[in-house]
Amino acid sequence: MFSRRLAFFLVSLIALLLAVVAPAAAQESVTLDFYFPEATANNAQGIFEEYAAQFSEAHPNITINVVYQGSYTDNRTIIQTQTAAGEGPDVAVMLSTDLLSFIEAGTVVPVQQFVDSTEGGADYVADFFDAFLLNSVDENGQLWSIPFQRSTPILYYNADLFSEAGIEAAPANRDELVAAATALTAEGRSGLWFPSEGFPIWLFTAFQIAGGEPLVAERFDQVFFNTTATAEGLQYLLDLSKVHQVMPEGALSWGDGPTIFASGQAAMLVHTTGSLTRILSEAPFEVGTAFLPFGPAGEDGTGYGAPTGGGNLYIFANSSPEEQAAAWEWVQFLSSPEIQADWTARTGYIAARESAWATDTLTALVAEKPQYAVARDQLAFAGKEFTAFRSIDIQNVINTTLSSVIAGDVTDIPAALEAAQAQIDSLLAE
Amino acid sequence: MNAKPRSISRHFSWGSVLANVVTILAAGIWLTPLLFTALMSFRPPAEPVTQGNIFVGTILTTENYTRAWEIAPWPDHYRNSIIFVVGTLAVQLVTVTLAGYAFARMTFFGRDLLLILVLLQLMIPPGVLLAQNFATIRDLGLFDTHVAMMIPYWGSAFGTLLLRQAFREVPIELEEAARIDGATLVQVLRHVYVPLAVPTYIAFGVVSVSSHWNEFLWPLVVTQSESVRPLTVAINKLIRTADQGSLYSLLMAGTVLVIAPLSIVFMIFQRRFVESFASSGVK
Amino acid sequence: MQAALPVTNRSVSPARKPWSQRLLPYLMIAPTFLIVFLFTLKPAVSAVIDSTLKPARLAQDPPAFVGLQNYADLFNPTHHLGARFGGILLNTVLFAFGTVAIGMPLALGFALLINRRLPLRGVWRFGFVYPSLLPLIGAASIWAFIYADQVGLLAAILRAANPNWLGSPGLVLGAVIVVNVWSQTGYYMLLFLAGLQGIPRDLYEAAALDGANYWQQLLRLTLPLLRRTTLFVLTVSFTFAFQAVELLQGLTEGGPGDRSNLILYFIYQNIGERRNWGHINAITIILAVIVLVFTLSSFLFFERGGRESER
Repeated sequence: MFSRRLAFFLVSLIALLLAVVAPAAAQESVTLDFYFPEATANNAQGIFEEYAAQFSEAHPNITINVVYQGSYTDNRTIIQTQTAAGEGPDVAVMLSTDLLSFIEAGTVVPVQQFVDSTEGGADYVADFFDAFLLNSVDENGQLWSIPFQRSTPILYYNADLFSEAGIEAAPANRDELVAAATALTAEGRSGLWFPSEGFPIWLFTAFQIAGGEPLVAERFDQVFFNTTATAEGLQYLLDLSKVHQVMPEGALSWGDGPTIFASGQAAMLVHTTGSLTRILSEAPFEVGTAFLPFGPAGEDGTGYGAPTGGGNLYIFANSSPEEQAAAWEWVQFLSSPEIQADWTARTGYIAARESAWATDTLTALVAEKPQYAVARDQLAFAGKEFTAFRSIDIQNVINTTLSSVIAGDVTDIPAALEAAQAQIDSLLAE
Repeated sequence: MNAKPRSISRHFSWGSVLANVVTILAAGIWLTPLLFTALMSFRPPAEPVTQGNIFVGTILTTENYTRAWEIAPWPDHYRNSIIFVVGTLAVQLVTVTLAGYAFARMTFFGRDLLLILVLLQLMIPPGVLLAQNFATIRDLGLFDTHVAMMIPYWGSAFGTLLLRQAFREVPIELEEAARIDGATLVQVLRHVYVPLAVPTYIAFGVVSVSSHWNEFLWPLVVTQSESVRPLTVAINKLIRTADQGSLYSLLMAGTVLVIAPLSIVFMIFQRRFVESFASSGVK
Repeated sequence: MQAALPVTNRSVSPARKPWSQRLLPYLMIAPTFLIVFLFTLKPAVSAVIDSTLKPARLAQDPPAFVGLQNYADLFNPTHHLGARFGGILLNTVLFAFGTVAIGMPLALGFALLINRRLPLRGVWRFGFVYPSLLPLIGAASIWAFIYADQVGLLAAILRAANPNWLGSPGLVLGAVIVVNVWSQTGYYMLLFLAGLQGIPRDLYEAAALDGANYWQQLLRLTLPLLRRTTLFVLTVSFTFAFQAVELLQGLTEGGPGDRSNLILYFIYQNIGERRNWGHINAITIILAVIVLVFTLSSFLFFERGGRESER
């Protein structure tokens, strides 16, 4: 009886000691809240949890708490709400274009400071494609975020139909595009599908980049929307439906684009590289991919140009220095060539580092499906995705204007562009 | 006694045949989306409805279900959604009964003002007060708990209004009779008011359950663990595939997974719902 | 009468009632009130205050007091929010009226149809009710599939005659109203059913003995007795109609242009920019006032109806 009591006492004592000692011993360990948007059909949560487990093997003191937060917009709203109250993630994937508004809110910290204190930091940054870094810096060129799940729009075409119609090469400029689309249009099939609902600004930027008239100034403080590039681009899109009749009228669906293309109801499609994996697996014909040809023919006969898109990794100001340091480790891990290559192979985003394309994973992928290389190579012609101060507001103004014109709701294009430009100017003047 | 009702029912029968046809047609239209949701969920992921037979496509598969099932910890989400809606409703039933009775049958200083203040909840969508409400949850130390999702709904202006209305239709004589028999307030509520308001409780219960079953942004803001989050998070994972475009078959499989349990519950209990409607109607 | 009753009550009863009795009603509403206070009233007051402020460029700097400027901006067509707000306000009112004008009669009709002897009644009733058991975002995805251009269900049925439902400025709001009606009607039908069940049977028997046919019974008996239920459904459906956001998220994102945009979704679109928060709060207050006007007017009807039939 006595011994049993003693045993109980001793066990309790040990438990108590452990309880006191354990937190002290565990003080080194850090748990990071990692928020990500856009689940993807390939179970992004599951993939991130795999990565987190791999990461924790190498960093036993860091635990990653993987948290899905809805769409990019939901994710941003949640992060703003939580950080305003002193909560929020330690590290997150957010749109690269959200950068300036988060800087103004004081929510994020520049990753430049971590790069500077990391051995080989400069080489690490130099390994990223320049096109992706354009949206990762502020107006002074300071680096704030690291490219992670990046994309760019490309032209998908039905190669079988191309050979039937005797078209030998993918269109390289806007006139060739019209010619090809006209040749490919048939009963029950449109020549081209250019999605214009929801977020038309992204694809539309291709007109500005290819036309060499940037939509935004270097320091993000001026926006040039009321320009001939915009007016011509809009007229070009309207003509595709109304004059050339190679595309249905009205705002065309983004989400249904891949299905419409893969089921043969459109011969060409403008869509993100993020759909490549899906389209290749669904289409019963040979799929070709090409650079976006929305510019007028230049000296070499091409009119290429496209924006980049997608999400970057951000580190947050509410976190302690230890958490930030751990978050930086996680960011480096996620942007390592191996993980970038794996992420590309499993989701269709473009690996943001050149060295990732030298890995076995991606060399094998490109050898098997050369379509993937097109997205990478187009980066040479890519400009930055639209961002500016008051980015969300200006995007809303531009999206509404483009969408109204393309859907045929507004017919006086010069007046619409002028009104939009005036709103944008007063936003930037605030 | 026999002759007259028969003549009435014969008079009704032609009309009711027509009414039956109209009912079935209308319900048929209403059910069409469900039918196609179910059918689509068995199509191959890549196959649009325009391909093959409109009903069954070219081939049937359960692939969408296996993929949808892998994307989220569904059992956890089911459990959390049930905790969320049941926990919300259980507390609501108590609070709206008390408040409904007070506003319906008691006179006290400031009653109308207090009622109007409570009703403000109907007018201000909770979604837009996100920032302040998140701060409150955090100050209460409830971040990432089931209670955080439920607590803003534990007082319901809608339910209070419904119950106040229902209680006012209860003849006051019934309460007076019970009081004379020495019943306490709790007994009066339990034996007089609550039984007579059962249809109202059911109507309120249905909207409470279905609207919280719906809730997405608020749970997302106040939680971050999969072990706490409700089903809408799972269905959103299937919807948020914007980069790949819409995958309807997969999405429909997810929709079926979400709607099935609630539908089964409704099917089982609907007879009881109706009986309680009927029994209270007779009284 | 209306004024006299409370006065007599107030002057007589509080004096007579013991202290604990007088406290009781407050205790009974306390739980409800506490929650409403914490999660509606308190934040609503700060929303009113914030609606007069203009956030600074940097979050660390204090906001400026601008009085009613934020409200004025919303009606200024050269302001980036004001240029869109008027049309969206109009859409919202059209959406609410459209939903109610179509949904209410349907719900009443369905309730009358279901509230009879009918083979397989449970199946048909489920048919009407299940959409309200579905998360709105789920309803939106089902209808995104139905409406989808070229590859949707309607496209499969109508073929070349299928219009671009969600991409045409003239069709899109109607298309969204249809989805809202589809998803809400079953719930309102349940409310009407509860109201119908509350009508004593003997009234019908008496009317039948007087030789009233079905339509006469409906007009003279059922509809008048459903008046309060109707007004209640009206209030609730208006309130809900002003708050439908998930539908837009899954279907149109407010487009094309702003042709299907609604106030609450507009808030959601612009809340991402911190410097809009003054305006966002102003919109919230305007939305609350609109809902208040709708609710209050049906509520006043309600009260009058209540007084008339009170015994």
